[in-house]
Amino acid sequence: MDISAFVLFWAAIFTSNILLTNFLGMCSYLSVSREIESAMGLGLAVTFVLTVTSALNWVVYHYLLVPFGIVYLQYIIFIVVIAAFVQFLELLIERYTPALYYSLGIFLPLITVNCAILGVSLFMIIRNYSFIQSVAFGAGSGIGWLLAILMLAGVRRKLKEKLIPVGLRGAGISLIITGIMALGFIGFSGIVQVQ
Amino acid sequence: MKQTPIDKRITARMQPGNLTYNGFLGTDRRDFRQIIADDEMALDKLGKTAEEIADRLEYFQNQSYDSFQGPAIVDKIYEVETEVVRGFLPCPFGHNGIYRKSFTTVKNTITGKSFTFTALNIHLIREHHFFEGKDSHFRLEPHEIVAELF
Amino acid sequence: MFLRIIQDIALMSGIGILLALVMVIAQRWLSNYGELNININSKKDLTVTGGNSLLSSLSEKQIFIPSACGGRGTCGACKCKVIEGGGPLLPTEKPLLSKAEIEDHIRLACQVKIKSDIKIEIPESIFNIKRFHSEIEEIIDYTYDIKGITFKLLNGETIDFKAGQYIQLETQPYGKVKQSVVRAYSISSKPELKDRIQLIIRLVPEGICTTWVHNYLKVGDKVNFTGPYGDFYIRDTNADIIFVAGGSGQAPIKSMLEHLKEVGTDRKMSFFFGARTTKDLYLTEEMLAFEKHFNDFHYIPVLSHPEPDENWQGRIGFVMPYFKEAIRDPKNTEAYLCGSPGMIAGVTKSLVEEYSLDKDKIYYDSFG
Repeated sequence: MDISAFVLFWAAIFTSNILLTNFLGMCSYLSVSREIESAMGLGLAVTFVLTVTSALNWVVYHYLLVPFGIVYLQYIIFIVVIAAFVQFLELLIERYTPALYYSLGIFLPLITVNCAILGVSLFMIIRNYSFIQSVAFGAGSGIGWLLAILMLAGVRRKLKEKLIPVGLRGAGISLIITGIMALGFIGFSGIVQVQ
Repeated sequence: MKQTPIDKRITARMQPGNLTYNGFLGTDRRDFRQIIADDEMALDKLGKTAEEIADRLEYFQNQSYDSFQGPAIVDKIYEVETEVVRGFLPCPFGHNGIYRKSFTTVKNTITGKSFTFTALNIHLIREHHFFEGKDSHFRLEPHEIVAELF
Repeated sequence: MFLRIIQDIALMSGIGILLALVMVIAQRWLSNYGELNININSKKDLTVTGGNSLLSSLSEKQIFIPSACGGRGTCGACKCKVIEGGGPLLPTEKPLLSKAEIEDHIRLACQVKIKSDIKIEIPESIFNIKRFHSEIEEIIDYTYDIKGITFKLLNGETIDFKAGQYIQLETQPYGKVKQSVVRAYSISSKPELKDRIQLIIRLVPEGICTTWVHNYLKVGDKVNFTGPYGDFYIRDTNADIIFVAGGSGQAPIKSMLEHLKEVGTDRKMSFFFGARTTKDLYLTEEMLAFEKHFNDFHYIPVLSHPEPDENWQGRIGFVMPYFKEAIRDPKNTEAYLCGSPGMIAGVTKSLVEEYSLDKDKIYYDSFG
């Protein structure tokens, strides 16, 4: 892969948005998009964790798993690394910025099981990114995810007062909106191809 | 849809014995988000917003607040009385302050129907569009309120 | 082949152990605050283990800041001034504090975690607050929804309070209530009785504590409470007194009258009790006994809605018009009010505007 990290960063936000083109990280995307503030908090946390864990996992993969020939254990190892990092981050935030700790609340531990995080780690292995590319891809994907959840939260705030057929309320209408947003993002494709 | 941890915490606070003796959900088996959604539908059909209902209830509460002995007559046909007991209740949705334990009873003297609601009811309706679950002690039916109090 | 399996498992476990090790060290290093110092009013120093909330650390040291929700950050009762070391204001506190309070460094003691040496300021009277263990000695039905309950202190404990102050009762789980809550009630017995207190408790619809007291408590049950709290107490002057109460607000007034009976007084006193019907009147005999005992005390019940068949001969309507008969010299009259915020506001307005009493001589205990 010889795409520059800079291009990859923007591509991860727009042309191959982790949520709107790969539909990863849907669970928290649907359930935490009721309020803009919490969507923002979770989005920022996801961005940070994505950036750091893609770097960590890249190092672990290339300097531990490959040399020792245990690549087939990558899923378990990646998940453990992500979980440990999130836990570490939680301790750190609680100690030094209690205000942020309280506003993130339960969202922080929830990130452990956000599949966008594992997805990014796996993509960077499959697509054979370099370290710099991986970090750029991780950061871009995080920002892309943040963008998507913020947009949905904004739309859902407007929807609160609207009459929606019973069968479509909640997840139904959110998925339809997500689909339309994804269609909109197709407009960006063709600018750069990363897949 | 699955309940988020925050929704679970809210549901837990609505259970009997957490904030109030019988809780906020009554015998309702629906999720509180569903209760809110169904009542919002009912309001849409009635052509009123939750804010208008809350404003109306608050108007009755404020009109009767100073007349601590005996009902105030509001808008000629309503007998309104507010009683306050010691203490405050927090909102089950969290992070929104505390509400006085006041009970306002509004009686429509023409139809004879009366409603009792608390300061917390007004907040729940205004901010969360939550009218409480079926058979809950302070459940308010949107269509009855609109029919009797407007 | 076998060696290969062992090697992979060892590597896998090694990574796990390494991460666990990092976490253990991080936990030790990040969550251990060690022994920290709480400085109170620049006078008293306490050493506590860091990491816990200010409220629970203080209560471990037998200093009880009033709290109604038990430290869940919902009632806003445990306000206290943190001068140094409280950390930033948390989003959980903001909704419960006013702008002026935030500027004055007021915090919620249950939300402030002790993570460094901390300097706080609390009223001296809080040092007097203790936790008491008691047994229920007597339960009296005053009306259909008001009970008087006497708590006898156990283990030879004694309580010092001023007539008019309140305590906080701790409920125990019962029926479908799985947790313990804390609720405030005025003491209705005289401070001279140091080994027991009486509370007058009215059943509140949906109330967790009042339902417990009314339907579950029996004589002989063990109950804990903390106290005394509050700055509603009788001032030691020679001024005339007007007491005004509604509902269960008679409790602190009863305590004050019993106290005055004990110490003896010649002050001119009138007690206006506002109720709906005769069914809501209680302690009438006690009040008539006080009328006999004191030189110049009058008990004046005023009903707002006497039922026609009750044959009520007394006063009807609002209490305010009847103050006229009780006020000799408005500048030498104190008023003690206990009831709903609406009643306090209405009576205060009437006393100040119509009867020209001094506003700072009107003392009240508002339910709100």
